[in-house]
Amino acid sequence: MYKVLLLILAIFICSSTAAKAQFYQTTSAKVSFFSSAPVEDIKAVSNEGVAVLNSANGSISFKVKMRSFGFEKALMQEHFNENYVESEKFPEATFKGESTKEIDLDSNSPQQHILKGIFTVHGVSKERILPVTVTVLNNGKKLQLESKFNVACKDHNIKIPKILWENIAEVIEVNINADFQIIPR
Amino acid sequence: MTKILIVPMFLICSFLKAQNVDSIMADISQENDYKVQATFKSPRLVLLQTNETQKAKDLAFWVGHRFGDIGGEFGGSNTLYGLDVATDLYLGFDYGITDKLTIGIGRSKFNESYSALIKYRLLWQDDAMPVSITFFEQSSWITRKPFSNNEFGSEGDRISHFFQAIIARKFSPGISIMVNPGFLVRPEAQVQDFQDSANLFALGLGGRFKILKRISIIADYTFVNGLSRPEDLQSDFYNPFGVGVEIETGGHVFALNFQNSQAIIANNFIPNTTKSWSDGGVRFGFMISRNFSIGSKKPDN
Repeated sequence: MYKVLLLILAIFICSSTAAKAQFYQTTSAKVSFFSSAPVEDIKAVSNEGVAVLNSANGSISFKVKMRSFGFEKALMQEHFNENYVESEKFPEATFKGESTKEIDLDSNSPQQHILKGIFTVHGVSKERILPVTVTVLNNGKKLQLESKFNVACKDHNIKIPKILWENIAEVIEVNINADFQIIPR
Repeated sequence: MTKILIVPMFLICSFLKAQNVDSIMADISQENDYKVQATFKSPRLVLLQTNETQKAKDLAFWVGHRFGDIGGEFGGSNTLYGLDVATDLYLGFDYGITDKLTIGIGRSKFNESYSALIKYRLLWQDDAMPVSITFFEQSSWITRKPFSNNEFGSEGDRISHFFQAIIARKFSPGISIMVNPGFLVRPEAQVQDFQDSANLFALGLGGRFKILKRISIIADYTFVNGLSRPEDLQSDFYNPFGVGVEIETGGHVFALNFQNSQAIIANNFIPNTTKSWSDGGVRFGFMISRNFSIGSKKPDN
């Protein structure tokens, strides 16, 4: 009798955990950034952002390889990797955090969420609060996440030489556009 | 029966509990063989070419200068340590047809020569490939008046060709090394010492050592003596050796160099380096490049 109860309990715990934890992933999130300075505007795009999201507790892990960013000019790309973000030493930018509230999988309208977590680039981590818009599609099979935030170069120890202040902005605008797919259980 | 069921049930339970965004993240494997970039900052080191080529649709304008002997018979305070003298001046353009193929033209004061070069990247260092290999060819046409009436029998006697394979490896973000075996083909008419051989093998060694983010120490040495060149020549030829500081600022690269070669292009300095570091024949020089992006590659959305 006792063992049967234990089994029922086990199944209950199991199923409840499974029902709650719903994971979504993407390996092709679009990450772009934009620098607007007096002499030139610089734009770079990567379509290789990797992210995993748990809709139950809103926890998210996001990373993008610095080398995956493509620039308009090849020399800019080389300077970006060599001189600014030092991609060989710090190959990735990451964000790990949690949503302040649960994602409503039944709603079809865009939901505003706040992600609190640690943003790391160039080996320097900062606690950040990022606003995101999440849209649930295909009855919860897909999630679309969009975000726009600013990154100050000096917060992450990315040094811009004084003679280039006219070419590179001190604050970079970052745009995230990720289409998550449900991970089938 | 129940016992048998409980064990896997708990295992599944614990597995589900252990699974979180980080563990799933760690399981996603991303395969990206990014090519190693910026083995060298510039297509030229001190005297030798590096494995680097122009980026596609980028045009570089080159200005190079070699001053006179710092010390010795021809240097000293009389010539302001060689700064009064210009042994060579080079103006040139290099253009990247693709990221792998570069063509260039140039003009040197030394021998009043016009030159054309072609560089092609055969191999690119990445996770699987340990080295980068670039092929380099430069032809030079001497246009100065003959020193004697019969110096150049025909127009072809003014032309020489230099072939080089550049094998380079970036060992760390701060250290890159290259080995450049080469071969110079020149007509008999251009041989200055009658005992010297017309065609010469050369073996170059070069390195770049980053000391600050935008400043590197660069050096290269080329073996010419001791390879195919005869030993007992009338005139003294020396192996070209140069060291310098390379400063990079955006689209410019400045190299401030000291070297014993009077000439800038390989077709001239491989056979004709008659100055040595030991007798004051070392000279100051610089090489400046300005890069222009002519066509621009749009980032793919």
